Amino acid sequence: MINSGNFVQQMFSADYGKYFALGIYMNLNNVDLSNCDREPIHIPGRIQSHGFLLAVDNESTLITYASENCIDFIAVELQMLLGKPFGQFEEIAGLNLKNGQLLQLIQLGGAKKDFDIINPYPIQIGNADYYMIISPTANYYLVEFEPATLEYDIQNQIGKSVSEILKGKGLRSLLQNTAKEIKDIIHYDRVMIYKFQEDGHGEVIAEVKNEDLDPFYGLHYPASDIPKQARALYKLNYTRIIADVNTISAPILTLEVEDPLDLTHSVLRAVSPIHIQYLRNMGVESSFSISLIAHGELWGLIACHNYSPKFIDYKAREGAKLIGKIVSSALEYREEEEQEQQSNIYQLAMTMISLHLGKDEEMASALTRQEYTIKDIAGASGAAVLFEDVISTVGETPDEIQLRELFVWLKATMHDAVYYTHRLPEVFPGAKAYKHLGSGIIAAMISKDMNEIAVWFRPEQITSINWAGNPDKPVVVSDNGLLNLSPRNSFEIFSELVENTAVKWTKTEISNVMKLREKIINTISKKAGEIRILNERLKRAYEELDTFSYTISHDLRTPLTSIKSYTELVIASNKSLDEQGKKMLGRVVAGADKMNFLINEILKLARVGRAEVEFVSLDMDKIVKDSTVEVISALNAGNVEVTFGDLPAISGSPVLISQIFTNLIGNAVKYSRSEDHPAVHIEGLKVEDEIIYKIQDNGIGIEIGHHDKVFELFKRMENVKDIEGTGVGLAIVKRIIEKHNARIWFESELKVGTIFYVAFKTN
Amino acid sequence: MSPDIFYVEDDQDFAFIMQYAVKEVNDDLTVSIAEDGNSALATLKRFAEEKHRPKLILLDLNLPGISGLDVLKRIKEIPFFKYVPVILFSTSDDVNDVRTSLDIGANAFLTKPTGYHNLIICVRSLYDFWFNQNRSIN
Repeated sequence: MINSGNFVQQMFSADYGKYFALGIYMNLNNVDLSNCDREPIHIPGRIQSHGFLLAVDNESTLITYASENCIDFIAVELQMLLGKPFGQFEEIAGLNLKNGQLLQLIQLGGAKKDFDIINPYPIQIGNADYYMIISPTANYYLVEFEPATLEYDIQNQIGKSVSEILKGKGLRSLLQNTAKEIKDIIHYDRVMIYKFQEDGHGEVIAEVKNEDLDPFYGLHYPASDIPKQARALYKLNYTRIIADVNTISAPILTLEVEDPLDLTHSVLRAVSPIHIQYLRNMGVESSFSISLIAHGELWGLIACHNYSPKFIDYKAREGAKLIGKIVSSALEYREEEEQEQQSNIYQLAMTMISLHLGKDEEMASALTRQEYTIKDIAGASGAAVLFEDVISTVGETPDEIQLRELFVWLKATMHDAVYYTHRLPEVFPGAKAYKHLGSGIIAAMISKDMNEIAVWFRPEQITSINWAGNPDKPVVVSDNGLLNLSPRNSFEIFSELVENTAVKWTKTEISNVMKLREKIINTISKKAGEIRILNERLKRAYEELDTFSYTISHDLRTPLTSIKSYTELVIASNKSLDEQGKKMLGRVVAGADKMNFLINEILKLARVGRAEVEFVSLDMDKIVKDSTVEVISALNAGNVEVTFGDLPAISGSPVLISQIFTNLIGNAVKYSRSEDHPAVHIEGLKVEDEIIYKIQDNGIGIEIGHHDKVFELFKRMENVKDIEGTGVGLAIVKRIIEKHNARIWFESELKVGTIFYVAFKTN
Repeated sequence: MSPDIFYVEDDQDFAFIMQYAVKEVNDDLTVSIAEDGNSALATLKRFAEEKHRPKLILLDLNLPGISGLDVLKRIKEIPFFKYVPVILFSTSDDVNDVRTSLDIGANAFLTKPTGYHNLIICVRSLYDFWFNQNRSIN
């Protein structure tokens, strides 16, 4: 996104013009397009000319290096300094100090391995005030002199600033306060807080400036603006000043030739001419930066620009450095605090959802309809769950059709249990239509077989990035045809439209999704187990009910028989009984008969439940025709014309299958016999892997409103009230059908007729 | 004296009705009732010793104590009753009960009819078949 260009372009972008106050000396002769990352920047040979430098050999204590501009400060020729003992510097330089006094300081700091207590050491040269600043290298002590310009004690101001800065509650206000306080201390025209983003590019996230200046707030800078070595230096030197881009740097001279001088910790270290050019192009004349370090990494910079030359006194720089350190630790703390707050919310959401999952709640409800929903475990703006073919959503999500399409794509695409992207429309063009809702997604496959999935959504986040200049500006080809390295001179805002991209998912968010997925799956398998147990119980209950029905009907028959028999016996043998008495006792017998009939029907039903089906191949021609004969004779319905088509064999229990046909043919005959030309037709057809029997009549038909009731026990339709029946027959048929893994359905029209279909599997 | 019909039945009501039905079919027919399997077998053993042989044994399937099927088995083990028809007489019409009874050696399996009239019809057909038409069997 930032450097989509080719290698050369990228190298150009690493344009050595560090936008901020990075001053590093480079020997341009050694710089080509392939070695810029390996450039030995800590071995420079120049310093900024607002001060002067000596380097003292830490063994011989001789002055081994001196900057050429010494003469501008102490009126001594360089030859008078180089190779001389530093212990005599006071005299040579004409200072108002005893010889050896300054060397003592070096030795003191060297012994303590700490120069912070000595730096800065005030000295007078002529009538001017200077600071001496000592820093050790491997073999030398760098002794640098720079003007002391501060006329008041800055300590108090620093203290106040720090307390102002820390008043900020959130990260943003902390940083905004920092920019303001730094500006009050150093009085530069512009102070910015620059934050490095994940991919290394930077963004100005706080800014305080003079009113007449254009804001840089919100601008982005390519990662290559500050290359790797520069970042390493920012971690070593917490502050860096470029006092005046218009002065010419002073070379360091030495009599030694073989030993380059390490200027890493030099406060005067010169600036790359390209960076100078870069700053000039921006109109900046003085630049100052303070490093912000969090968790040992360069988090960002406090970058300060002045549009006229403005030196900052060492003590003010140290004050700024202290503020930088305090802000750094506050940053760590605040960031942690904010992350912790976020992760607390995640944790809470996770716990609450688990709780609801644990209860015997409906899955979709536990995930999407409680106070905390799945979208809260991953900082999503919306989430959707497909479970048992129903989509439940929470927050902002695409519509149902779009979701279904996305699920299909995910099912085909996902290889792992969890998939995430922050650029969905780039990989799945169908998502372009809802990029404002779901440019970023995390998907958790709950069950691929069951087609169950949960998806989290994030909207398209950045619609445009304002670059400070085109980050992909091509290399300038110079007149001699060579690729020319040049700092960019345009800082015109260059808007790059970044589409189809959401904020990246963090590791925590992804791992939360993974954890939740585990929980969902555990819940499902737990529930599946529970359902199995319930199913077993139901089966047992059914069996018990069958046994119960069987026993009770059986036991009922005996007393019923007694009732009937005694009544009949009384009627037959009691001579004193009058006609009225006989008639009434006759009703008792009729009642007993009816009850007996019902009991027998229930017995049949119960018996089907108890029966174990042994599948054998059945001669259907015989079964169907025998059943028909039985029915016709039982119902005494010789007027019904019964015809047969093909009657192919099926497999099943002979007794039970006979029962099906006796019942269905019985119904067909019973409900059509009163028609003018009652006709029943029975035939079986092979359709794919089933044999479908149909029993067709031209009888009274079944009302549409009753279609779903016909198979219920004891249910009889309005229009058959006058026709004898119990409402058990079709219930028995249905149970037998279930026992045979067959299917039954019917078509019917009132006064036209009914067709019952029974489909048996052929295998 | 041996009765024409030896009837094993624990249901007193049924036994009572049966006596009426038998008399209704033929006033000369005698019926003797045993209320459970053990007393039935005891009586039959005594009959065997006294060389009294009933013409027909009606046996209920569901009996207290030893079951009708066990009684059937034991009767069939007594050589003296080898050719006496034993007819299982039960409220059950369960196919398995029927099959088992016939396997053990029942000569027929009758589902108890409901009601006095049906019983008369049933007994009459028994009488016609086993006493009149099939005299040779006895």
